[in-house]
Amino acid sequence: MISVKNLTKNFNAVQALKGISFEIVNGEFYGLLGPNGAGKTTTISIMSTILEPTSGEVIIDGMDLKKNPIACKRIIGVVPQEIALYNDLSAWQNLMFWGSLYNVPDAELKSRIDETLHLLGLHERKDDKIKTYSGGMKRRINIATALLHHPKILFMDEPTAGIDPQSRNLIFEVVEKLHRDGLTIVYTTHYMEEAERFCDRIGIIDKGEIIAQGTLDELKSLSKMKETILVSFTNLTDPLFDKMSSLWNGITRAGDAIHFTSQDVKRDLSTVILKCNEVGLDISGIDIQKINLETIFLNLTGKQLRD
Amino acid sequence: MIKLAIKDIRLFFADKRAMILAFLVPIALITLFAFAFGGAGQSKDAPRPTTLVIADEDNTSSSKNVIAELDSLIEFSVSQMSTIDAEHLVMKGNEPAVLVFHKGFGDALNSGGDPPVEFKYDEAKEAEVGILKGALIGNLMRIMGAKSISKNVLKQFDANYPEMDSLARKKIHAQISDNFNSDKVISQSDSFLTSTPLVAEKENSPGLIHAVAGTAIMMLLFSVVGMGASLLDEKQEGTLKKLLYSPLPPNQILYGKMIYANIISICQLSVMFIYARLVFGLDIISHLPALVLMILATAFACSSFGVLIASLAKSRQQVQGMSTLIVLVMSCIGGSMIPTFVMPAFMQKLSVFSVNYWGIQGFYDIFWRMLPIYDHTFLSRIIVLVIIGTVLNILALQMFRRNILKLA
Repeated sequence: MISVKNLTKNFNAVQALKGISFEIVNGEFYGLLGPNGAGKTTTISIMSTILEPTSGEVIIDGMDLKKNPIACKRIIGVVPQEIALYNDLSAWQNLMFWGSLYNVPDAELKSRIDETLHLLGLHERKDDKIKTYSGGMKRRINIATALLHHPKILFMDEPTAGIDPQSRNLIFEVVEKLHRDGLTIVYTTHYMEEAERFCDRIGIIDKGEIIAQGTLDELKSLSKMKETILVSFTNLTDPLFDKMSSLWNGITRAGDAIHFTSQDVKRDLSTVILKCNEVGLDISGIDIQKINLETIFLNLTGKQLRD
Repeated sequence: MIKLAIKDIRLFFADKRAMILAFLVPIALITLFAFAFGGAGQSKDAPRPTTLVIADEDNTSSSKNVIAELDSLIEFSVSQMSTIDAEHLVMKGNEPAVLVFHKGFGDALNSGGDPPVEFKYDEAKEAEVGILKGALIGNLMRIMGAKSISKNVLKQFDANYPEMDSLARKKIHAQISDNFNSDKVISQSDSFLTSTPLVAEKENSPGLIHAVAGTAIMMLLFSVVGMGASLLDEKQEGTLKKLLYSPLPPNQILYGKMIYANIISICQLSVMFIYARLVFGLDIISHLPALVLMILATAFACSSFGVLIASLAKSRQQVQGMSTLIVLVMSCIGGSMIPTFVMPAFMQKLSVFSVNYWGIQGFYDIFWRMLPIYDHTFLSRIIVLVIIGTVLNILALQMFRRNILKLA
């Protein structure tokens, strides 16, 4: 459905994208993860035709984006990071306007707006001006504007940034429904739990390069990371740490705590507790650190996802 | 308290827009008004000659002599043409008045009778006509009055003293002629000069036309800048970017703004003239087709100006800063604030670079000069406004395209 080959983008002396390539198949949910300034929005801006690449190729549904920008625009929907709505118009008026830009017939458009507002739980507020909406409600209308022309591909750039849990859950339900219905979705987010929950595949982008991509399991094995059990103590001393080192391979000290690396946390947890008791360590807390997207990201980029 | 004041002063000097509004705009306006009203920029040594249009129907040596004497004066630069051509210029508003020497002027002057000389003028240019007439009467009386009166006196003297010897008569004649040629003989009376308004329909006063047209265009310029700036609001609020995601070709976004600004401009101008009709009795009904055409052309030029300013700026704040300066300057030189004819010549030349000028002159053509819709002077103003609008739109489109590239 989407093929990106050797995409570069320079802003004067700054190279924002350094030849990224990836493929997204029909109906796939693809997550693009990266810290601020990594190149996510630049990539989405190029794929959604508002920014020209310096070099490289983007094929959307078999069409060269550069040669057929208008045709490509007709089959994509974009949910931008910022809430881009007319505050002095009602939700209905906003949706009528944005839908009309895609030449959806009037009657059809009205029916789609009704359907979408029901889906997003905002039908009862359809005649209220956007400026009276909460941030979460605006986000939902922001998503609705991208769905009215029934796109084949949906680009969602941080669609849940800064909203309340209720709206977030509603958006999650909508996103999952769209995915179930077979829509191809490209999703950027700072929230790793969203990426883990929704994405079939994830591309990790940093400094304009895709440094890893695949399913979550593929990324876990790619990172070669191991899970750890972090145990805190009230009486940890150097001699006790040395004694513990002789009983367990691969431990590291972090202040009053010790990291125990493990191939299988469930199996090793009780053994760790027993060994600690054996050496006379007084346990004050236990934290299991599993491998997740956050730790993989940290391992691959040396940065927190929200840096 | 002092620290707060110092902080605010620092912020003020860091804000370029505030600096421009506080210092540059008033300086620019003071300079303009000084040039327009105060005579700044004019040479103190050599007064600027006023063009004096003369039609010599008499075409005798007497009329030619008077014209030559007027032309030799530092106050006037004489331009001679036929009466029809001269009247045409006055009626089109190109000249304030024409001095016509009718047939029999020379005979009347030589016989000591009342010479038939007529001052035909445009009442809309009251101040300009007043200045011209004032300068003309004094000089004309000195030139023709002296000739006419001295001849009368000599004639009467000869009749009273027919027996006087020729040598004494010659001396006295010379004395009388000298006396009448001196600058002391300047009549304050203008009774010899017939004054006729060429453009003097009383139904619409020029003051009213100027107030309506001048103010309407100036305020329209301010409004259209605000309308154009909605483009920047769209940019700042992200809706412009979202419009670019849609299949709408980017140029159409600007065209949409142009249409919006045009429609509102047409409405605004129409309301202003309807108000002038209802409250001040400006006769718009008799001139409806020309008025509609003029409103369309003015709205087009003004709205294009607004869209261009918005395309040049990077934020609404910049638009406000730029527009305040540009609109006030254009309104000042274009005649919205004061009629252009009271300005010095170089300011009048500058006024053609202002949308206000062409709009105001067009409305004068309709309501004061009563030019028909097909008159080429009126149509030329329409064409100029359309050209201005088209050029500004093309520039706006170029700037808009350049700004789009900076969006992401």
